[in-house]
Amino acid sequence: MRIVKNLQNFLLDQDYYIDIFKNCLHVYYYLDLVSLSSTLIELKLKEFNLIIEGENLTISAMDNHEILINGLINNMRFNR
Amino acid sequence: MKHYLKIRINTKRKTDALLKLNKVKVDIKNIIYMSDSLILEIEKEDLKKVKKYLASFKIEILDETGLYKAKKEIKKNSLFIISLIFGLLTFLLLSNVIIKVNVIHNSKEIRDLLTDALKERGVTSLTFKKSYDEYEQIIEEIKAEYKDKIEWLEIDVDGMIINIRVEERIINDYDTNYNTCHIIASKSGTITSIRVEKGIAEVTHNAYVNTGDILINGMIKLNDEVKNNVCAAGEVYAEVWYQVNTSFPLNYEEQELTGKWRFNFTVTTNIKEYTILKSRVKEKIIKKIPLFKVFGIEFAITKEYEVITTNKKYTEEEALIKATELIHEKLQMNNQIEEIITEKVLKKSINNDNLDMDIFIAVNEQIGKREYYTIEMESDTNDESNNGGNNGVN
Repeated sequence: MRIVKNLQNFLLDQDYYIDIFKNCLHVYYYLDLVSLSSTLIELKLKEFNLIIEGENLTISAMDNHEILINGLINNMRFNR
Repeated sequence: MKHYLKIRINTKRKTDALLKLNKVKVDIKNIIYMSDSLILEIEKEDLKKVKKYLASFKIEILDETGLYKAKKEIKKNSLFIISLIFGLLTFLLLSNVIIKVNVIHNSKEIRDLLTDALKERGVTSLTFKKSYDEYEQIIEEIKAEYKDKIEWLEIDVDGMIINIRVEERIINDYDTNYNTCHIIASKSGTITSIRVEKGIAEVTHNAYVNTGDILINGMIKLNDEVKNNVCAAGEVYAEVWYQVNTSFPLNYEEQELTGKWRFNFTVTTNIKEYTILKSRVKEKIIKKIPLFKVFGIEFAITKEYEVITTNKKYTEEEALIKATELIHEKLQMNNQIEEIITEKVLKKSINNDNLDMDIFIAVNEQIGKREYYTIEMESDTNDESNNGGNNGVN
């Protein structure tokens, strides 16, 4: 997954990606995890803060650049 | 390759722990939320960092992951694995060694002859077994070398014992003369065409012949006197009638590929085929890709294609067409049949989900076959033939 993303990033030269799947959200190139709870997760990206609201929100995996969030997502907001 | 550790962080403040780990830039995989703990995978080199920043949390290492786990398991069970490999190799070695060669025949001469012939070709006790193809080649070689002594030869591998079954060739004193023959009818029918290459035609177009009747005579006669004997040659076609009884099942299964497939491995010995991995596909079509063969044991990769089987039923008309096609296919396998002249369904009925039919078929078929005769016998029986007896055909 990371190889593909790196390749995509190299070819498209984007600052970030947000992929939404069923009950799953993948954010690539986030800067910071601002807050974390089972109902709200806030991520800092380059141009805005991404606020994810839902139920039973959990993190499945994370590293410096990417994060994978599971749970029932009800709402997503961009706070510039 | 990164070395990951599976750890448990005992805490009820799971979000705090994750936020802290995020702050210190630790790569985390496969996070599992338990009621009073978090189970996650981190890189081994990050463990010190985690222990330092999460000093207030109780951290325990559960396991290693990936290849390192396999390496650890192998190291732990090394004695068992070495014993298993050694045992397997010993088993392979022993199961491929011949301990006895049995030549089954009453005559000591034949037994000694074959034992020596097999020894020359490396088939003797305390040697390795050979493959099926090699045994076939040895049989052919021995049969060719001793063609006047051996009629038939078979090599039967029974575990570690090789049984050789042999039939001695008994050469009769009398010789059949293969230069003199008739063409006779192999079946009854009405002649549709006759082409003579050698000999005298005894039948004409549209004549009805019975099985065994001479169609082309090898004896060239002039005024009832045999002038010459040849081996008759030619083709005789006749309209032959068949009545076929067939039973065709109405129910059938249709298999459809789902697109899902899995790899597996198979080991095939002389006795059985073993599948190494548990098959994860319930109904499947298997395609085998051979890898290598050691001591007659074949190792192969298999691709298991998942299929869905559905039960279907033919209508009476469909079953009739299918059954007729099947009969045609079987008739066409007989290369003596040139064409199907006519066919008619005499009777059809459905019993226990089977379509039972009686079909009449008329075909144009080559019915001529050679029958050899000896000239001596012919001359001996000339008088008999003149008196209405047979004409010396063996």
